[in-house]
Amino acid sequence: MMPSSAKLKDIKPEPVAYSDVALRNNAAVVEYCRTSMAALSGSTAGILGLTGLYGFAFYVFAVVILWMMFMIKAGPTWHKYYISRQSLLTNGFFGALFTYVLFWTFIYGMVHVY
Amino acid sequence: MASVHKIIVIVGFISLFHSAFSAAQHRSYLRITSQEFTALPLDIIIQAVVSLFAVIWGVLNIAGKLREIPAANELNNIKWETQRNLTSFYVFNHRGRALAYDFVPTPSKEDLEKLE
Repeated sequence: MMPSSAKLKDIKPEPVAYSDVALRNNAAVVEYCRTSMAALSGSTAGILGLTGLYGFAFYVFAVVILWMMFMIKAGPTWHKYYISRQSLLTNGFFGALFTYVLFWTFIYGMVHVY
Repeated sequence: MASVHKIIVIVGFISLFHSAFSAAQHRSYLRITSQEFTALPLDIIIQAVVSLFAVIWGVLNIAGKLREIPAANELNNIKWETQRNLTSFYVFNHRGRALAYDFVPTPSKEDLEKLE
């Protein structure tokens, strides 16, 4: 049995060996999706003309939606593809936020200012 | 399957561009009629958000297949014959070739000396 929460990890029932190549492959796929999501949701926030905290709330919303899509795609056997669900949600949050803000301001300027 | 997701991405992008164009037009319409901007019309918002979801879903499926991370999973599919099959360790020059029907024995050292 895989430990499902971080607290249970301290009492490991048995060590699980992970394939390094597969882990890196999955990380690359997740990173690709995350970057695309940041750019696209930034563009959408710009189109919608969100300003201030609404824009950041929209980013959090988009991150959660992407996470849910990952979960839907992996299905009930998600532990075959990811080590933990929580780190899938939070990894690279701020890195993608900068991409988001870049696209947000750019598209906002294109659509609403000019 | 991948082509379906590509089509989803392309259509979503076009729809997103269309909603951006609609938003810009709405903005210029407000400017001409000198009204105050409060919020976009609901249909533009819905179109933008739905096309965003469509593009993200398409990108998620285009990005590549996820591989199973437990190390044993991929090794379990390999049979013992496949794993032992290393081309570097192939040996062809052994005595078994004497059993071939068209075997020509190589001349021994003595025969070579007689020829000279």
